[in-house]
Amino acid sequence: MIEARNFMFLFYGLAAAWLIVIGYIFYLVRRDRKLSKELGRLRNLIGDGERTEK
Amino acid sequence: MREKFIYALGSLGALALVANMYNIFLVLPDEANQGAIYRIIFFHVPAAIIAFTFFFVALICSVAFLAFKSSKADAVAVASTEVGVVFAIVNLVTGSIWGRNIWGIWWTWDYRITSMFVCVLLYLGYLIMRPAITDPTQRGTLSAVLSIFAFCDVPIVWFSIRWWRTQHPGPVLETGGLPHAMAMALLYNFIALLMIGTALVLVRLRSEHVQREIESLRRLALVEA
Repeated sequence: MIEARNFMFLFYGLAAAWLIVIGYIFYLVRRDRKLSKELGRLRNLIGDGERTEK
Repeated sequence: MREKFIYALGSLGALALVANMYNIFLVLPDEANQGAIYRIIFFHVPAAIIAFTFFFVALICSVAFLAFKSSKADAVAVASTEVGVVFAIVNLVTGSIWGRNIWGIWWTWDYRITSMFVCVLLYLGYLIMRPAITDPTQRGTLSAVLSIFAFCDVPIVWFSIRWWRTQHPGPVLETGGLPHAMAMALLYNFIALLMIGTALVLVRLRSEHVQREIESLRRLALVEA
């Protein structure tokens, strides 16, 4: 009984550790995509502005 | 080239971790008093040391920013801090789950645990404060000062188990209280997690550079408007 409880908590601990790290990786990927989109939008905006000026 | 290096580092770390898992779960015996749950130490301890390593990198970069006003140093500081906070949270959560099993409680206001909690709060404050300041020089300066102040807590966390009588277990790494096979497994897990952590810092650093480019383009767009 004690052994089973031990393994259960070991599983909880490892699962929590991996969930935090994997969650952070997902956050980084989402942030990267959002920033890339924003960078492309701004580059287009400034490029269009320069073309209009010409 | 840099992308490939990040992927290679992350993959190598993940492979090393998987190889070490076999050793931890199938080769190493259970600990006499704690049983299987002691295996949390292989993630709990490396997570803390990695967090402190990244906080130390952030400290060096913060001092470099104050001395040379280098934006690269500020970018490395924020990337290291963010990944350091993730590992510090892993340390607190795994420790809490271990405590629930061994002590029967999720949390106690013990010197080691409380100082680690304060450490996480200080660095979270650093990360929350940054987006609120728009001027890059002012943001870098205030962040660097906060990072240096926050690092003062790291030695307190590290030495708390020597300075005070704590519920948290005493030092086992320096005293040689850990059997050689377990110490080696701990070292291998530390190296593997450090590789994964470094890959994450490099990814975060890349997004910080993109963020800075966006900020400068926004300023340019405002000037043109």
